[in-house]
Amino acid sequence: MNGEGGYHPAMDWTRVIVSVDDEHVDAIDEVADRLRERGMQVDQVLASVGIVTGSVQDVAALDAVPGVMSVDREEVIDIGPPDGEIQ
Amino acid sequence: MIDTGPSSQLGISPEGPMLQTPPETTGRFIIVFAEDTDPASVLAEAGLTEVVSSRELEGEEGAVASTDTVFEELGIAVVSAEPGQLGALESTFEGPPRVLSVSPELVHHVRGSDYVRGYADGVNDLAGRLGVTSGPPSGGANGTAGFGVQFFRDSTDFTWGIQATRAQLSSFSGQGISVAVLDTGFDSTHPDFAGRTVTSKSFIPNESPEDGHGHGTHCIGTACGPKAPGQGPRYGVAHGAAIFAGKVLSNGGSGSDGAILAGIDWAITQGCQVISMSLGANVPRVHPPYTAAGRRALDKGSLIVAAAGNNAVRTDLNFGFVGPPANSPYIVAVGALNQQLDVAFFSARTLADTNGGQVDVAGPGYQVYSSWPMPTRYASISGTSMATPHVSGLAALWAEATGYRGGALWSVLMQNGRRLLAPSLDVGSGLVLAP
Repeated sequence: MNGEGGYHPAMDWTRVIVSVDDEHVDAIDEVADRLRERGMQVDQVLASVGIVTGSVQDVAALDAVPGVMSVDREEVIDIGPPDGEIQ
Repeated sequence: MIDTGPSSQLGISPEGPMLQTPPETTGRFIIVFAEDTDPASVLAEAGLTEVVSSRELEGEEGAVASTDTVFEELGIAVVSAEPGQLGALESTFEGPPRVLSVSPELVHHVRGSDYVRGYADGVNDLAGRLGVTSGPPSGGANGTAGFGVQFFRDSTDFTWGIQATRAQLSSFSGQGISVAVLDTGFDSTHPDFAGRTVTSKSFIPNESPEDGHGHGTHCIGTACGPKAPGQGPRYGVAHGAAIFAGKVLSNGGSGSDGAILAGIDWAITQGCQVISMSLGANVPRVHPPYTAAGRRALDKGSLIVAAAGNNAVRTDLNFGFVGPPANSPYIVAVGALNQQLDVAFFSARTLADTNGGQVDVAGPGYQVYSSWPMPTRYASISGTSMATPHVSGLAALWAEATGYRGGALWSVLMQNGRRLLAPSLDVGSGLVLAP
C-alpha cells in the first residue's frame, strides 16, 4: 500500500464525512478534487455546510489534504419503527 | 452574586414564581429613553436640570449613587423627581413616545447569611405551597390550576403542548418564514395540509419523499400544522410557515450522516430560517461534521433545532446523554417535558465534560397529538422528537416577530424561555414560549 491513497483491491471501503476548514470552504470543489486524487469516491459536495461525503479505502490518506478540518466515519441514525412508543 | 434582597418573599402563581412583597427602593427613578431621543432635552422639558452626564462622573467612585445621572450610551437616566415631573416625562410630547419606561430604582444586596435564611424560609414556604405529595393537581383544565403543580391537558380546541407554549395566544403564525423538517418525509395527501406550500425532497436512495413511517408527518404537524384542522384540536405551532420536508430517514426509520448533512445543505440553500431535526445517534461524543454544519448554518441565518435524545431511563436513575447532532455547540438541543412540565422519564441529560453537549431548552414531548399518514390521520406519541418540532415552530414565530436570524434568533428563544424548577442539566433555559 502506498501513502497516496488510490485503489487497493484487498481493502474495504469506508464511508466518510470530510469537513472542510473555513479558509478553504469557498474553494470546496478544489478540495474535493484533491480528495479524489487521494482515492476518495466523492458522493456529495455540500457547499453550504462545507462538507464532502463519500467512500475511501485508506482513510488516513485524506488527513493530509490541504483544507481538510476533520475526517470522520459516517454514523447511522435510527429512530426506530413507527409503532415504537417513544420516538 | 447580586440579588434584590431578603426582604422579598418568593411566591408561586400559576405563571410561576413571583415577588409578593414590594421590593426595597431608593426613592429615585430609572428612566429608559426611546432610540434616537436626546435624553438631556427631555429631562430639561420636565424641569430636571440637575442631571449630570455619566461621562463627567468618570473616575469619581460612587458618584452615580448620589448624583442624578444620565447614561447617554445606554439611553438611561437615574433621577430624583417629584410625581408631577414623572408624569410630564411621559406625556409632554406629541408623536412617538420618547420615554419607554419610568421605574423605581431598586436596592440590591450582596447575597449573605440573611439571604440564605430568607432562602430557606422561601423553600419551606414553597414546599408547603406545592404540597410535596403533589400528584395530579386539582381543577383547572387548560393548565390554569391554582397554586402548585400545573397539569396541561388536551382540550377540544388545543393540544396540551399548544397551551403550555402559549402558541394559541400568539398573533404570529410563521408567515414569511420557511421551516425545514428533516425526517422520514411527509404524507402529501393529508387533508390538514391542503392548500399549504410544501416543498419535498428525498435524500434516501430509491425512496420518494412520501412518508412511509409516520414520524415525519407527525413532526411536520407539530411544527407547522394548521390553525384549524378539519377535526380535533389544534396541534401545530407555525400554521403560516412554508414547509420544507426533507426525507433524510428511510421508511424504516434509519438514515446516515450523509443524507442528514445533504438535507441541512438543501434547507440552507432553500433559505429556511429554521431546520428541525428529530433524530440522533446514541453516541456520547460530539461529531465534528455537525459542529461545522451547525456553525455555518447559523452564519447563513438558519437555526438548527435537534432532539436531545431518548436514552434516559430516569425511573432506573439512568439519565442518559445528549448524542449527535444535538450535542453540537451550534445546534439547539431540546429536552422533553410531560404535562406537568416535569422532565419526561426518557429525556436525555446534558453530556458531562463535553463542550456543547448540553440540553439547551425543553418542549412538550409526552403524549403529543399530531398528524399521521392517512388513513390513520392522527396519533399521539412521545419523545424528544416531539418536543423538537414544538421549539422549531416557536422559533418560526419568533423569527417572524423579531426579524432575528441565526444566533440572534437562538438568543431570543433562550431569553424568553419559561424557567422551570427542573435542573438546567435537563431543561436548559426552560420551556420555550410563543411571542
